[in-house]
Amino acid sequence: MKHLIITNNPLVAEKYENVLWTDGSVEKTLIIVRDFIHQGYELVSHPLAASLRMLFSPYRSIIIDKKKEKLNFEHAQIIEDSIIKYKKHMDLRKTDEKTRDDYKKIDLLLLEAALSEEQGKWY
Amino acid sequence: MRLEIGRINITDIQLGNETSVQNGVLTVDATSLIAKLKEDDRIKDIKIDIAKPGDKVRIIPVKDVIEPRVKISGGNNGFPGVTAKPAQCGEGRTHVLYGAAIVTVGDIVGFQEGVIDMWGEGAKWTPFSQTYNLTVDINVIDGLDPHTHEETVRLAGLRAAEFVGQAGKDLTPDEVLTYEMDSIFEETNKYPNLPKVLYAEMMITQGLLHDTYIYGVNAQTILPALLHANEELDGAVISGNCVAACDKITTYQHQNNSAILDLYAQHGKEINFMGCIMIPEHTTLSGKMRASDYTRKLVKMLGADAVVVSEEGYGNPDSDLLIICKKCEHEGVKTVLITDECAGRDGMSQPLADTAAEAVAVVSGGNVSHVVTLPPADKVIGNAEAIAVLAGGWEGALLEDGSLQCELNAVIGATSEIGYHNVTCRAY
Repeated sequence: MKHLIITNNPLVAEKYENVLWTDGSVEKTLIIVRDFIHQGYELVSHPLAASLRMLFSPYRSIIIDKKKEKLNFEHAQIIEDSIIKYKKHMDLRKTDEKTRDDYKKIDLLLLEAALSEEQGKWY
Repeated sequence: MRLEIGRINITDIQLGNETSVQNGVLTVDATSLIAKLKEDDRIKDIKIDIAKPGDKVRIIPVKDVIEPRVKISGGNNGFPGVTAKPAQCGEGRTHVLYGAAIVTVGDIVGFQEGVIDMWGEGAKWTPFSQTYNLTVDINVIDGLDPHTHEETVRLAGLRAAEFVGQAGKDLTPDEVLTYEMDSIFEETNKYPNLPKVLYAEMMITQGLLHDTYIYGVNAQTILPALLHANEELDGAVISGNCVAACDKITTYQHQNNSAILDLYAQHGKEINFMGCIMIPEHTTLSGKMRASDYTRKLVKMLGADAVVVSEEGYGNPDSDLLIICKKCEHEGVKTVLITDECAGRDGMSQPLADTAAEAVAVVSGGNVSHVVTLPPADKVIGNAEAIAVLAGGWEGALLEDGSLQCELNAVIGATSEIGYHNVTCRAY
């Protein structure tokens, strides 16, 4: 299996096999990703979404790559910065639970868009 | 390439039995428009309404804003590759109902936001409170998947703009603006001593509700592409995203891209404006590397001295913006960034998700976290329940008198990253 998806989204866990699912928060999901990156895994998709509204999502799925020999410092920086930025935003806000089902679907669809970009590659 | 934009000034809007412009008053035949749009059998119901500057009206949730236009000569009418057969945009003459806008409304997902207040405090923050708006509220049939739902709403808005734009077909414009530029080599021969400047426009291209299209092509699938400066001004680029209300580039803003217009205004005077690089914002890191490398290559191939880069969105696109900045600056190309800030309610936090020492010339479109209080409206066009969604991000936002406290993030076009908005800077 080339990629591993780390997610707290049950729709993603149902649909894909190469998944590490957590029943925790988005923050917990990001921290799991961080721990993998520090072990030498690389980020495939960026930990943050592309808009502030998506930060309110109760769900987040992030793709990581195979374990490499060395730590990728750039990716470690990206995940650390993303966690800081996420926490800074969510200190003032709460996740949007009312529309959680829609966030589930959009998280899955954005993940699929990211996976489609990764098709046909071997490196 | 030569483009004439003929502006027909619109000073009022009404519904009536025909679609026409007389003495600046745009009349829209809603019945015929609805019939036209319902040719798409995925649409169940359409509600047409109008909202004028000063009306105590709130429009929510806004999907897109589009300027009604008609092609008089050159190219094809409408949006080539989307509502018309492929054709070259940016040539010939286009008539614009200047001051009018089509505003599409429709829930695709429950967390959608995007508010336009036509009066009071809210009106200050969105440029679309000053346009005479025809609102098109689109309900689709049951059972559509989200992609088809979004496409249906997107196309309905573009087709409505095309329908209304026809009213300008046989009129003499109040003003004609000409945009003309020869090949890069010819322009450089004309202005050998002026610095060569490119505009690099980043577009959200990450999947459903996060898409942009060029000539109908989903820009997620492209390598950065070079466009003549006229093409985007003439309908080549349309918006397919609707989750970042304050800094989403609506189709209207693409049609009137301030960065392009301002660079054009300086062409032959202070700069030699060479054109636009359209850059997809990928969600994958490999996509970000590919797009930034390719942008650097185009900038170098074209021999640019400077590049102005504008962002769309917040979060992972901040990485793209700063990677592009680093790569261009390291090539010796002076790089100016246009973005907005997510700097906390007091404006004191780090504004972007990323930083770079090379980012030494940055233009801010405003702070998306700035809190505004919007009083209750007399009339809500769209879905009144979506107002509660605006307040969904934090507690205590709906006040006792019915006023709503929300961040600028929820207001359409409030902190535009291409500069088409109301916020400005002031030296103290």
